[in-house]
Amino acid sequence: MTFLDPTALALAAGLTVPALVAMYFLKLKRTARVVPSTLLWKRAVEDLHVNAPFQRLRSSLLLLLQLLVLLVAALALGKPMFQTAERHEDTLIILVDQSASMNVKEADGRSRLDLAKEQARLRVDNMSDHARAMLIAFCDRATVISSFDTNKDALKRLIDSIPATESTTNLGEAMSLAEAYTQNIIIGGEETGADVAPESSAPPATVFLITDGRIEDAEQVALQKFDKERIHVANVGQRVDNVGIVAMDARRNYERPEILEVAATVENFGPDPVTVDAVLYVDGDSLDVQTVALEGRRPAVGDGDAGGGAGARESIGVAAFDPVEFGGGGVVQVTLRVDDALPADDRAWTILDPPRHVRVLLVTEGSLPLEDVLPTLPIELVKMTPAEYEAADEKDLQSGERSLYDVVIMERHSTARLPHGNYFFWAAVPRIEGIAAGEPIRDEIVVNWDETHPLLRHVAVETLFVLEWLRLSVPPEAVSVIEGESSPILTYFVHGASQYLVSAFSLTVDDADGTAWLNTRWVATVDFVVFMQNAVQFLSSNVALRGARTVRPGEPVTMPSAPGTERIQVIRPDGSVDMVTATTYQKFHYAATRQTGIYRADPGVAGHDRFAVNLFNFVESDVSPATAVTIGTERIDSQAGQIDVNEPAWPYLLVVMLAVLIFEWVVYNRRVLV
Amino acid sequence: MAKLDRLSLVSRKIFAGKMRGERLSKRKGESAEFADHRNYVVGDDLRFLDWNIYARFERLFIKLFLEEEDLHVNILLDVSKSMDWGQPNKGLYARRVAAALAYIGLVNFDRVSIFPYADGLRQELAGVRGRRLMFKVAEFLTRVEYGGASDLARAGRQFAGRHPQQGIVLLLSDFFEKGGFEEGFRFLLGRNYDIYAVQVLSPEEIDPPLAGDLRLTDVEDGDIAEVTVGRALLHRYKHNLQAYCGGLREYCTQRGISYLFTGTDVDFDQVVLSYFRKRGLLK
Repeated sequence: MTFLDPTALALAAGLTVPALVAMYFLKLKRTARVVPSTLLWKRAVEDLHVNAPFQRLRSSLLLLLQLLVLLVAALALGKPMFQTAERHEDTLIILVDQSASMNVKEADGRSRLDLAKEQARLRVDNMSDHARAMLIAFCDRATVISSFDTNKDALKRLIDSIPATESTTNLGEAMSLAEAYTQNIIIGGEETGADVAPESSAPPATVFLITDGRIEDAEQVALQKFDKERIHVANVGQRVDNVGIVAMDARRNYERPEILEVAATVENFGPDPVTVDAVLYVDGDSLDVQTVALEGRRPAVGDGDAGGGAGARESIGVAAFDPVEFGGGGVVQVTLRVDDALPADDRAWTILDPPRHVRVLLVTEGSLPLEDVLPTLPIELVKMTPAEYEAADEKDLQSGERSLYDVVIMERHSTARLPHGNYFFWAAVPRIEGIAAGEPIRDEIVVNWDETHPLLRHVAVETLFVLEWLRLSVPPEAVSVIEGESSPILTYFVHGASQYLVSAFSLTVDDADGTAWLNTRWVATVDFVVFMQNAVQFLSSNVALRGARTVRPGEPVTMPSAPGTERIQVIRPDGSVDMVTATTYQKFHYAATRQTGIYRADPGVAGHDRFAVNLFNFVESDVSPATAVTIGTERIDSQAGQIDVNEPAWPYLLVVMLAVLIFEWVVYNRRVLV
Repeated sequence: MAKLDRLSLVSRKIFAGKMRGERLSKRKGESAEFADHRNYVVGDDLRFLDWNIYARFERLFIKLFLEEEDLHVNILLDVSKSMDWGQPNKGLYARRVAAALAYIGLVNFDRVSIFPYADGLRQELAGVRGRRLMFKVAEFLTRVEYGGASDLARAGRQFAGRHPQQGIVLLLSDFFEKGGFEEGFRFLLGRNYDIYAVQVLSPEEIDPPLAGDLRLTDVEDGDIAEVTVGRALLHRYKHNLQAYCGGLREYCTQRGISYLFTGTDVDFDQVVLSYFRKRGLLK
C-alpha cells in the first residue's frame, strides 16, 4: 500500500494520538462517588493492579479502541492506495489517440475514445496531490489540451472535451510536443515557456499513451527525451470486424465524357468472410448496386502492429459499377451497406465537375508538331501568336488574377505576362525570378529521367534524342523530370499561384534561312502524343476526365476563391461552419479536414466550391487493436484493458473505523450497564 | 408485635443475673432443676444429701440445683457514618432489628440495654425491663445519631470493661473495620458473653451499581480510592466481599459466635421471625 499524502497521515497521527493518550493519563476525569467504605475497593484495586500505568493501558479497552479509531482515521487522511501498479513519477504526460479508428463502438456501446477518456480520467485520479499532468490529443495533428496542471478537476473536464475525429494518426508530432513541454518546466517553480533554458532540471516524465495501436507513423518516431521504461501504453478496444472503402475512382469516358465510370476498392479487415452491397449515388440518386464477396483477412507477418500489413488478397475486392450516363456535375458517393466497427470508411465521395474539355492556349509563331498533336487531344485549343498574346486585352486572357485557360503553352516565347495559371514553356522560360535560360547545349545526351513522374507515364524517354537544348538555371525547388549531362532538360516548379513546366529544348529549330528543322525525332513517335496528353492533364489537374477534389482527413486543401472575396465560409459535413480568409492569389487554404464527407465553400467558384474528404487509410480501417506499439525502434507492449491504477484504500479504512466505533459503543455500554 | 410477643430470647449460655427472671442461671441455687454434686461438709443442708450415691459409694454428696435469674440483653448498635447508608438504609434496618429484639427481651422480663457505638461507646440506654418500657427503647432508637468512624475494638474494650455481667451481646454492624474486627470480638469473648453478630449490608454494597472512572470517598474517614470500575474490578470486589464476609463468619463460628448476614433488602419479618429462630437466638 502506498500513501498519496503521507504528510497528512503523519500530522493526523502525530497530533491526535498523543493527545488522546495524554487525556487518558494526565487528566483522567473521574466521577466522584461516596461509598460506605473503601476497604474492599482498595483491596480489589490492589488485586488487579489497575493503578499501575501500563496495566491501566492494558485493561483500558476503550482507550485502545479510541486509539485504533484515531489511527484508522489518520491512515485514511494519508490517502492510502492499494498499489497494483508501478509507482509513477509526478510528471505525467497523457497522450490520447483521437483518430478515426478510435470511433469504433465496442460491445458495450462506448467508443474507443470514450474508453480512452475513461482511462485518462483514472490516471488523473491516481495522481498524487503534487503531481502535474499534461494532456495531448493526437490524430493527424497533435493538440495540447492542457499544459502541465495539478488541478485534477480541470484536467478531467478537459479530457471530456477531447473531440472525436475521422482523421489519421500522427504520433511523432505528439511526442515532439511532449518532449518540448517537458523540457520547459522547472521543479518547484511556476515558470514555464519557451524562453526557459532547455537544460532545466525537469523531473523525468512518465508518458501514458492511450490508443488502440493503429498508429501509422509509430516506427518513424524518434524518442529523444523519453526512454522506453517511462512510456506506458494502454490498449483500448477489442473489435476487429470492419469492411471499408480504401480507394475510389470516378472518371468520365475518354471519348464520351457524359458517361461516368466509377469503381471502389473494398477491403475486409475482419477475420470472417463478408458479403457487402456497394451502392452508387450520384447527386443523391441511387444508380447502381454491386455485391462484393470478401474473404476474411488472414494475419500477415507483423499483423497487429502499427502500420499493419495489407492482408490476404482475397479480402480485397472491387465494386465496379456499370457505366452511367451523367452529363452534369455533382457528388458521386459510394456507400457500403454493412454494420461494422467503423462507419467512417463505409462511405466515399468525389466531386464531379460537368464534363468539359481542358482549355489550352497555344502561343507560338508556328509549331507544326504542337499544332498537329494538340488538336488530337480532347481539349479546347486556342492559338495566338506571341504578339497577339502580349497585345491581348486582359479580359481575353484572365479573370481577375487567374488565367482564363487551364494550360498556356508558350512555344519559344518568354513573357512576363503571366496571370495565375499553368504554363508549359518550350525552349523559353517565364520571366520570373529564379529561372533563366543560357546558351544552347549541343552534343549532350539525356542521362536521367523520373519515369514515375505523371508527365512520363507510358512515355518511353529512352527514345528521346534531342539535338540541342538551352542551358537552364532553375529555382532550388524545381523538379528535374528529364536531365541532360549538365543541365535539366525538362523541369517543373511552382511559383506563387502558378505551375511551370519548362522544356529546355524546342521541337523545331530554325536555320539561318528561317527554315524549321526538327530538333528531335521524338515528335514523330506516339510517346510525344502521350507526353503531351500527360502534360495537359498534369498541369490542368484534368477534373473533367477524372473528377475530383478529394483529400484524406487532416490534409489541407487549396480552393479557388471568387474574385474580390476576402472571407469564405467552409461548411463541414456535419453542418458546422468555419470562416477562412482568402489569400492574395484568389485562393483559400483549409486544413480542418478531420471529418469525412463533402465540404462546401460559400461563396465559392462555380464548379470549384466543393471538395471531398475520404478516409482511404488501411491503418485506420484495420481496427484490430495492437498488442504492442513500436515507437521508433522500441517495442512497448500495451496493457490490454487499462493501465493499472492504484485502488484507493480509504473506503475500506472507513468501514473499519465505523466497525471499531460500533464496537467501542458496545464496550462502553457494557461497562456502564454492568 | 403480636408475633414478637410469642418469642423469647434464648441464650446458649446460662448467665447469672441480679434478679430472679425466667432464666435458669448456672449459678447453683435452690431451684428444682438438678445441676451438680459436691462433697458434704459440716453445715450443709441435709435435705440435699444424695442418698442414692451414699447407698452405692457410702460417701456423702450434696445435690446442687440451677438458680433462676434475669437475662442481660446487650444490644451493641453500630451508629458509625457507614451505617447511615443504602437503600433501604442500613442504620434504620439495624434499629428495627434492635427494636424487635429489645421488645422480645422486655416481654420476657429480660434486662435490655442498648449501646450505640462508633469510635467508642455512645450514650446508652441501660437496664430497661418490662414491656411497658418499650417506648423508652423506641424513643432512644429514634434519637440515635449516626456519625464518626467505626471502631469495634475500642467499643468492645469499653463495653467489656464497664459491663462485666454476662449475658447476650447482640452486635448489629456492617463490620467494615479497617483495623480489623478481631480485636473487638476478643474483648467480648473474654467476658464470655453469648455473642450474636448480625452483619447488615445494603444492596449497593453487595452489588455496587458503579462503572467507569471514579473517585470513591469513604464516608467515614474521607479516604479516597481512584478506581476504574469495569467488569474485572467488580468481579474482584464481589469476590473480596464474599471473602471478607466468609472470613467473618468463619471467625465467629470458630469462636462460638453466632453470625448472621442479611441485606437491607431482605424482609424484616423474615430476619426476626425466621433467621434468628433458625440460628437459635429466638424460640
